[in-house]
Amino acid sequence: MGLIAQLPANAIVGTTAYRRPEVDRRETALVRDAQRGSDRALEQLFRLHWPRAYRAALLVVDDAAAAEDIAQESFLAAVRALDRFDRRRPFGPWLHRIVVNRAIDWSRARTLRRELGGTALPEPATPVRESGEHAEDIAAALAELGAEHRAVIVLRYLLDYTPGEIAELLGLPRGTVNSRLRRGLDRLEEVLQ
Amino acid sequence: MNVKRLLERVPADREAEDRVWAIVRAAYAEREHVRVRPRRRLMLVAVALAVAVGAAALSPPGRAVVDAVRRTIGISHAAPALFRLPAPGRLLVSGGGGTWVVSPDGSKRRLGGYAQAAWSPHGLYVIAATANELAAVEPSDGAVRWSLARPKVAFPRWGGSRTDTRVAYLSDGRLRVVAGDGTGDAAIGGNSRVAPAWRPGDRRQLAFVTSDGRVELLGAWRSSRRYADPRSLVWSPDGKSLLLVTARQLVLFAPASGHARALPLRGVTAASFSRHGQLAIVRRNAVLLFDGEEARTVFSTRGRLRGLEWSPNGSWLLTTLPAADQWIFVGGRRVLAVSHITRQFGGAATLDGWVSGPYPG
Repeated sequence: MGLIAQLPANAIVGTTAYRRPEVDRRETALVRDAQRGSDRALEQLFRLHWPRAYRAALLVVDDAAAAEDIAQESFLAAVRALDRFDRRRPFGPWLHRIVVNRAIDWSRARTLRRELGGTALPEPATPVRESGEHAEDIAAALAELGAEHRAVIVLRYLLDYTPGEIAELLGLPRGTVNSRLRRGLDRLEEVLQ
Repeated sequence: MNVKRLLERVPADREAEDRVWAIVRAAYAEREHVRVRPRRRLMLVAVALAVAVGAAALSPPGRAVVDAVRRTIGISHAAPALFRLPAPGRLLVSGGGGTWVVSPDGSKRRLGGYAQAAWSPHGLYVIAATANELAAVEPSDGAVRWSLARPKVAFPRWGGSRTDTRVAYLSDGRLRVVAGDGTGDAAIGGNSRVAPAWRPGDRRQLAFVTSDGRVELLGAWRSSRRYADPRSLVWSPDGKSLLLVTARQLVLFAPASGHARALPLRGVTAASFSRHGQLAIVRRNAVLLFDGEEARTVFSTRGRLRGLEWSPNGSWLLTTLPAADQWIFVGGRRVLAVSHITRQFGGAATLDGWVSGPYPG
């Protein structure tokens, strides 16, 4: 079960992960306006966070269609919880936490959603493989790691969480986070060099 | 090595962004107000009429009249029972007697008391609906994999890739989508009156008709025109063409270019593409093949036909003749008819799909 699903319905949601003051002021205004019913503010908030949310999901699940769904479900969860969102907290990290947890959940449950049995089916090609050389390489390197390892790399290097925050977020010992980061980086270096 | 920079080079799919924004925007609008549409008085009249006709048919004098009609307009020399299907594949039907799967040897399995059903993209599961429930069931024995209670469920349609699938359906007239494992159910659009249609292929794109009569490919494209009396939406097997059937015309869309071509054929009630892209339609009492320029009648009778399915190998068409309680298979110049459909399926049965392959496992 993802973290957001464990929250009580009346919880104040938010996270203390990274803060960028110049982004936060704009985000705070957008969240406030969206809470008041501004369609335009919500769209700006969506467009601002779509690239990172989608990339994070894609890099964890390695399936473009699933990444789209995960990002979509995360934004829908955000919309449902918008009225009780605490504007003093940054929106982005809260959304990204939902995305990464959903992506990990999806990876664990992947076989349940397969229509065909789990026997010897090739992984579906994703747009990542069709685009730039480096993006292709890094996606291929990441795909060789397990979903939880990929999530650690994505949280650290794409979403800027500290190892301590990642440990808290994923419920892992900090040493495990560090070892996964090290192993992930070693593998990426091997492939990319 | 700058890992951050490399990760940020992974492209964020712009088309997906627009699709998802359309859904998020709809969810945002929905949280602010729930609109209840009044029922149409005309619908009540139609229901009352249907009940009256049904009651008359069930009374002994009424049944005698119905039998006479059947003898008059039905296909003579029809087989008294469905001994076998003329082509390989499994046929799904639903109606008063529930949902059934028919095998090529004519054997039938009842999956449950559902009113409507559809195959999953590869024919491994069936998505079925009762008035207030959506259920994913095993076609081999009807075992329910998951179910979802929703009001006034209609037109379930299952689409998606081999690894991840989605079910679209209407609940109380509103379009909703749920994942193939029954999770993440959400309203994604406004009201609709016809069955949504998933675009073939691995990308999950959903076409539907909006309440104001526009055809929309969710988050990607919307017709500029409105179309009156829409009846159904059908994709070509290559996903390049989308056919809208209305009471007055057929409209063939090419969503990639936005081009629409209207074909002024009134009275079309069903349409189906073969696996090779051949379009067949049912128009009043006839089955026609459409070659892109003109329609050619391949079968006609004296009663109204209803429903149309191609066999998976594209060699036979199946339609129904409810007034004669018959199914009619049309294959080239051959016509095979089967009688006593209601007796065999416990009630009138509509065609929900004919897919290839035997039972899995």
